[in-house]
Amino acid sequence: MKYEEALKKLETIVSKMEAGEYDIDELTEQLKEAQKLIKLCRDKLTKTDAEINKILAKGE
Amino acid sequence: MSPTLTLYELNTLVREVIEQELAHEYWVEAELSEARESRGHCYMELIQKDELSNTPIARASAKCWRTSWMMIQPHFERVTGQQLHAGMKVRLKVYAQFHEAFGFAWIVTDIDPNFTLGDLARRRQENIRQLKEEGVFDLQKELALPLFCMRIAVISSETAAGYGDFCRQLQESGFAFQTQLFPAIMQGEQVEQSIIQALEQIYTLHATRTQFDCVVIIRGGGATADMSGFDTLSLAEHVAQFPIPIITGIGHDRDECVLDMVSHLRVKTPTAAAAFLIEHAQQVLDRIDNYEQRITTLFLLVKTRQEARLAQTAQRLVGSISRRLEQGRSKLNTLDTLFSTLIPHLIVAQRHRLELLEQRTQSLDPQLLLKRGYSITLHNGRAVRDAQELKAGDEIQTRLDKGTIQSIVK
Repeated sequence: MKYEEALKKLETIVSKMEAGEYDIDELTEQLKEAQKLIKLCRDKLTKTDAEINKILAKGE
Repeated sequence: MSPTLTLYELNTLVREVIEQELAHEYWVEAELSEARESRGHCYMELIQKDELSNTPIARASAKCWRTSWMMIQPHFERVTGQQLHAGMKVRLKVYAQFHEAFGFAWIVTDIDPNFTLGDLARRRQENIRQLKEEGVFDLQKELALPLFCMRIAVISSETAAGYGDFCRQLQESGFAFQTQLFPAIMQGEQVEQSIIQALEQIYTLHATRTQFDCVVIIRGGGATADMSGFDTLSLAEHVAQFPIPIITGIGHDRDECVLDMVSHLRVKTPTAAAAFLIEHAQQVLDRIDNYEQRITTLFLLVKTRQEARLAQTAQRLVGSISRRLEQGRSKLNTLDTLFSTLIPHLIVAQRHRLELLEQRTQSLDPQLLLKRGYSITLHNGRAVRDAQELKAGDEIQTRLDKGTIQSIVK
């Protein structure tokens, strides 16, 4: 379910961006967040759980 | 008292009576309690149960000789999609035979597959009705397949070609599907129990360790294979109430079986099941790609807009600075003009004043008086203004325009 939430969050960010709800500082922050979410979701589809855990371990 | 007969003689009597009295062929409805093939012949046990108590009220053996069975079997299995098996209702064309050594049997010369088909359909309908009554028929349909449907529990026979195809297809898709096989018998009478057992294993594992996103029940090909195991009430109940979405791909041509009806999704073959899962993942990936694309476009737009704004601001700044400079310059020019007219004027005025002073100073010069004939008398270097200051004998000098006179007062 975590990944579905991530996808929904991504969708919300994109909609808000397009609606012009962020100022330029927020926009930069939200861009970083969106990129993080995109990577998370894409990894889930293309990398096995073991690979994802390895990536997470490296990140810590 | 009649003479004692040998068993053979007695049996011969029975045979003769049966041959005479039951010379015709009859159509009979019965339930199979057993059916097996041996050396090309088919041996059946027929039974009729009391409708209320379910206890047998009639039994008989039946045989279908190889020559007939060769003709009957393919037709029967093609129409019903099933092999003869215990519990099946059949309509048989039979004639009676009594053999001195083997006893009584009905010899089967034809089987009506449509009767069995009708009975199966009726029983299927009965199962469906009951599932609906129990309120479980649509439960699987109400489950949502997770968007990230990657961990897949597979119920299949381990050696089935369909299973191999399924796994290979998922693997080659480039998506990170993870499958775990729960082997089950997918043919014959053990289907029901075997699949239920596999489902229970999956459920236990799902509740404790490994979470699964969906369950796939697959079976490789064979349209004429016996599908009756997939129609049973107990299996349908287990599948319908399973908490994880179940996809069936049990490959058969005839109408949906009950298992298909209660599952979350029914596809035709294992290959189609794999294709569905891949398509599902692709759609999610497309969604992510779409978001990414939209963000990129948006940021290009924002960047362009910001750059334009910056350029505009810079231009406004340059404009305002040059305006200020222009103002300063014009002020300086004014001052410059002012000074260049004022200063010569001032100089002239000062020069004039100096000239006046000079004239006045000149008029006071004593040399001018001397020239006009006046003289100055000095005593001890000082001008004498009062004669009384002098006494006789004092030496005085008188300065004239030209020269000085030394005198002594008398």
